[in-house]
Amino acid sequence: MNTTAEALCRCYKDRAGYKALFLCLSTALLVAAIIAGLSIGASGLSPAEIMTALFRDTGRAHSIIWMLRLPRVLMAALVGFGLGLAGTVFQAILRNPLASPFTLGVGSAAGFGAVTVILFLGGGFQIYRVAGGAFAFAMVSAFLILTVARMKRASSETMILTGIAQMFLFSSLTSLFQYMGTMEQVHEVVFWFFGSLSKAGWHEISIAAVLILAPLPMLLRRAWDFNLLAAGDDSAMALGVDVEKLRMWGIVAGSLMTAGSICFTGVIGFVGLVAPHITRMVIGADHRFLLPAAGLVGAVVVVAADTLGRTLWAPQVIPIGIVTSFIGVPFFFYLLMRRTKEYW
Amino acid sequence: MIGWLTAALFLSFWTGSVFGASVAVEDALGRNVQVTLPIQRIVVLNSDVVEILRTLKAEDRVVGVFSEISREPEFWGDLVKKPKVGSWRDPDMEAIAALKPDLVIAYSRNPGPLLEQKMALFGIQVLRFDFYKVDTLEREVQVMGKLLKLEKEAARFCNWQRWYLSMFQEKIAGTSRRPAVYIESYTDYHAAGPGSGGHEMCVLAGGRNIAACLSIPYPRITPEWVVSRNPEVIVKAASHGNGYISPAPTAFNQRRDAILKRPAWHHIPAVSSGNVHVMDSAIWTGPRAIIGIAHMVRWMHPHLFRDFDPKAVHREYLETFQGVPYKGVYVSDFPKKRLP
Repeated sequence: MNTTAEALCRCYKDRAGYKALFLCLSTALLVAAIIAGLSIGASGLSPAEIMTALFRDTGRAHSIIWMLRLPRVLMAALVGFGLGLAGTVFQAILRNPLASPFTLGVGSAAGFGAVTVILFLGGGFQIYRVAGGAFAFAMVSAFLILTVARMKRASSETMILTGIAQMFLFSSLTSLFQYMGTMEQVHEVVFWFFGSLSKAGWHEISIAAVLILAPLPMLLRRAWDFNLLAAGDDSAMALGVDVEKLRMWGIVAGSLMTAGSICFTGVIGFVGLVAPHITRMVIGADHRFLLPAAGLVGAVVVVAADTLGRTLWAPQVIPIGIVTSFIGVPFFFYLLMRRTKEYW
Repeated sequence: MIGWLTAALFLSFWTGSVFGASVAVEDALGRNVQVTLPIQRIVVLNSDVVEILRTLKAEDRVVGVFSEISREPEFWGDLVKKPKVGSWRDPDMEAIAALKPDLVIAYSRNPGPLLEQKMALFGIQVLRFDFYKVDTLEREVQVMGKLLKLEKEAARFCNWQRWYLSMFQEKIAGTSRRPAVYIESYTDYHAAGPGSGGHEMCVLAGGRNIAACLSIPYPRITPEWVVSRNPEVIVKAASHGNGYISPAPTAFNQRRDAILKRPAWHHIPAVSSGNVHVMDSAIWTGPRAIIGIAHMVRWMHPHLFRDFDPKAVHREYLETFQGVPYKGVYVSDFPKKRLP
């Protein structure tokens, strides 16, 4: 008996160590991706110039590093982290592998908010207006899901169906508004839906950071509850989890992170769906590790995609939404084909 | 004998007008289209065509217009009251057919080839012209003049435009200086590359487009790339609705100030000298591209065009060719001082 307990304990420690190692590796990979992103750019600064510019005001090089490259790379990391984390939360609370900020309609609602502002509220501070519109409608979407879920005791099926319904509603409204817009407005809308990090600045980063990172402590504290929820609503309730409340908080937190991620950058799809799956395939579904690791994987994907997007066809930039799909999908397929057993 | 010849000549003219003579023209798609004459009833699917028809004094032949024309009633006058046939991108085919036009005129790409297929069912001819392209504008205006038997009006406009272009070229030829210019299209951080109207305008105005070496017409670029190219002039296209009734350049100035405040752009010569300008879509490419070029030459070669007034060219165009009084604001002001 003792030997079995010890073996189990050793096995648990080994697995926990493996997961912790993955967390460390993901962090190292993210740091490497950030350094690569910081080193590559159109003005061809040498590594020595970059190092000097990082710590001393060298005029143009200093401005390029501190005002253009660093905000861009950090925003990419933040957005990827937020989307990866939000996707994991949505998949956990709905117990559905297809759940993501976009399949739940939060992304479509944010897009509709952005389009509304682009078409009807021109004028100064455009980036903040668009971000405000995107954020407001992402929250409207979360509120809609919450309202319907509360009426139907927050079953995952109800939430998914509500999300899909509102995804179609907001997509249709966006199409209608696009139809009414001028050619120029339609262009702007189209490019918002491609996603871009060019407008990332320190002020935008600070707002996005608050929205993305604020729910993180609460999510990590509820990691065990997410694990129990995976066994089913009844089992989780039997073990003392308030499933309805957990789902409500999950929707609010996921929507907040999604809105914070895309309001300044436009739609960067796919990461929220795939980053959790990639991570789950490697380290399993223990949310104590899965939550931060999926965020880190999402951050690596977005930072790498942005760096590739602005170097593959330089100086032309390939929209980040396209590159994330190009690098994420093959990797996702690779992992999917290598898995011999069900991972979900 | 002379009597027979006269009779034959008369008969040929009569049959031509009653049964329809035809003329072969090449449209924007490079198609050689046999168009049956006369053209008395036209449905137009974009504002550039309407403007050209008004230049040719043929607006009374317009029997149907695209719906978006209603956004600028002050500029289009009675044309707004004509029957609407839907959006310029996706018009209502039934509404067009009901108007029984002799000709439908659309852009080369929008709406798609379905327009020709559906109109053929009703025996309605379709021609496609891209009057927004500066390099083909003159040829297409002449083709329209030929089709509508308004060659004189077409020549008048072409000569007027050619005179200004020649004047610009002559003055610019006097200097070897070609300032580096960053032309930004309507969407932020999208340059006007080779093949775009903005690039053509920049070259005609004697500028060196920093995006000329790129491979697509409207490439997305990074802010850092613009900083590394050191443009001396920045021109941005903007659409703030109806420029014709704008009382002040507030919206244009806001856009310009936003460019002046972009992170790290204070290292760009154009920004540090305040040579950043925002231009309305009305004079950005299209039939009024010459007005846009007139502004550009002044921004790019101020020493050569110090006494030249682009507004006077615009006034002349509106009053002579469009028959409307000069009104509105189409460009941003020169900034009084550089912004922080």
